[in-house]
Amino acid sequence: MYGYVRPPLDLPEAERKRFGRAYCGLCHTLGERYGPAAQFILNYDFTLLAILLSGPEEGDIHHGRCVAHPVHGRDRLETNSALALAADESVILAYWQLRDGVEDHDWFHGLKYRGVSAILEPAYRKAAGIRPGFDESTRRQLNLLAELEGEECPSMDQAADTFAVLLREAAQAVDEPVRRRVLEQLLYHLGRWVYLVDAADDLQQDAAAGSYNPVALRYGLPEGRWTEESRQSFAATLDHSIHMMATAFELWDFGVWTPVLEKTFYSGLFQVGRAVLDGTFRAKGGKDLPPGSP
Amino acid sequence: MNDPYQVLGISESATDEEVKRAYRDLARKYHPDNYHDNPLADLAQEKMKEINAAYEEINRRRSGGSRPSGSGYTGGWQQQSGGSPIFQQVRAAIQIGDIARAESLLYSISDHTAEWYFLKGAVSYRRGWMDEAMRYYQTACQMEPNNPEYQRALNLMRNGSPYRPGGAPFGTLCAGNPCLTLCCAYTLCNNAYCCCI
Repeated sequence: MYGYVRPPLDLPEAERKRFGRAYCGLCHTLGERYGPAAQFILNYDFTLLAILLSGPEEGDIHHGRCVAHPVHGRDRLETNSALALAADESVILAYWQLRDGVEDHDWFHGLKYRGVSAILEPAYRKAAGIRPGFDESTRRQLNLLAELEGEECPSMDQAADTFAVLLREAAQAVDEPVRRRVLEQLLYHLGRWVYLVDAADDLQQDAAAGSYNPVALRYGLPEGRWTEESRQSFAATLDHSIHMMATAFELWDFGVWTPVLEKTFYSGLFQVGRAVLDGTFRAKGGKDLPPGSP
Repeated sequence: MNDPYQVLGISESATDEEVKRAYRDLARKYHPDNYHDNPLADLAQEKMKEINAAYEEINRRRSGGSRPSGSGYTGGWQQQSGGSPIFQQVRAAIQIGDIARAESLLYSISDHTAEWYFLKGAVSYRRGWMDEAMRYYQTACQMEPNNPEYQRALNLMRNGSPYRPGGAPFGTLCAGNPCLTLCCAYTLCNNAYCCCI
């Protein structure tokens, strides 16, 4: 389900580099806390989570070499409490997503999910020990989602709510009440948007496989092809969630991260949503695009 | 009170026109229409009060302390009262953010009037169930097309966000398509934002 968040295309150079430092900082923190096997889960979605959980200042920057950049090295953020929290939560999210993949596929096709989740298992056990509340809520929400998918829930909002609540819980460790409220709303609608965009992206694949798809059920699209009316209506519901993210974002001072977040909520998510609705997202690499520093 | 210039994000040397522009931009951002039925509306309302106070203070200082207050935007955060006592209870529950109570009260009502659909829409919106919110508001408006409260809620959802930085279009189907920029531009008319689509 992850892989739909991208740094906005029109990000100025300085902000693109800042995003890159957060990306490399999260990668380094994952390696530091969970070993190199955990670094493969890194993606832009988890980087955005790290940025949202960060304080208003960027913090210390370190230049260093790594496996991905062995010659010239890269600037990265030094590990801090926000990166540590984002790393812990990312490991838990990635692990349960992989376990979900095992459940969703037959023995043969589930092999790769089983293999990768086994590699991530030690990291997951450690992360779950550090963040038991988040682990519990993630497991609960994914079970709920599996139940709804099993009974072919016709409500797109209800199905999306499970993943939205799951992501919202990533803010539970935030102490400041106003900041927590803002992040909860922002993450709820980010989760809703991600779930719905993923379902829209899978429309034709699910139609061919006869799999459950909440968007196809909502709009009556058995072939997985949009009608103009359903496309407009679906885009409107995506926009409503982006509106809720943007209005939440405006109620907290995100400091140095403000430009990158502003671009994400006012243009980046629209670009991805439009590419998914146009069918050009997969053609450009889609969510399987190999991660690399932005 | 915080430094009023800092609140508006401008320097003390800003011209009157720059002060007015900064105020208008922020007032548009935190406008009650932008936070209609939003669970964070109370925080936006606080922001709006701070911005209004800063604008009035700057005007007061620049006019030698003689300008009367009250020049700032005073947006409506009013909640209309429903007809029957149970609907009033639902509205009160929504107002204080007790969505579970509002839902259980609505569940207990068997007569699904236009107001029932409208309140279901408001509850769905608060929960973030935007597709269902839209459909409940549409049903309420179909049942009572002349009700201004239902129409306003539906229009605010249809028209999307009245604020976007730099005047960029706000919408998935507008993104990256300059031809649609004009179609998606909002125009300010009669104190309400109307989408040109």
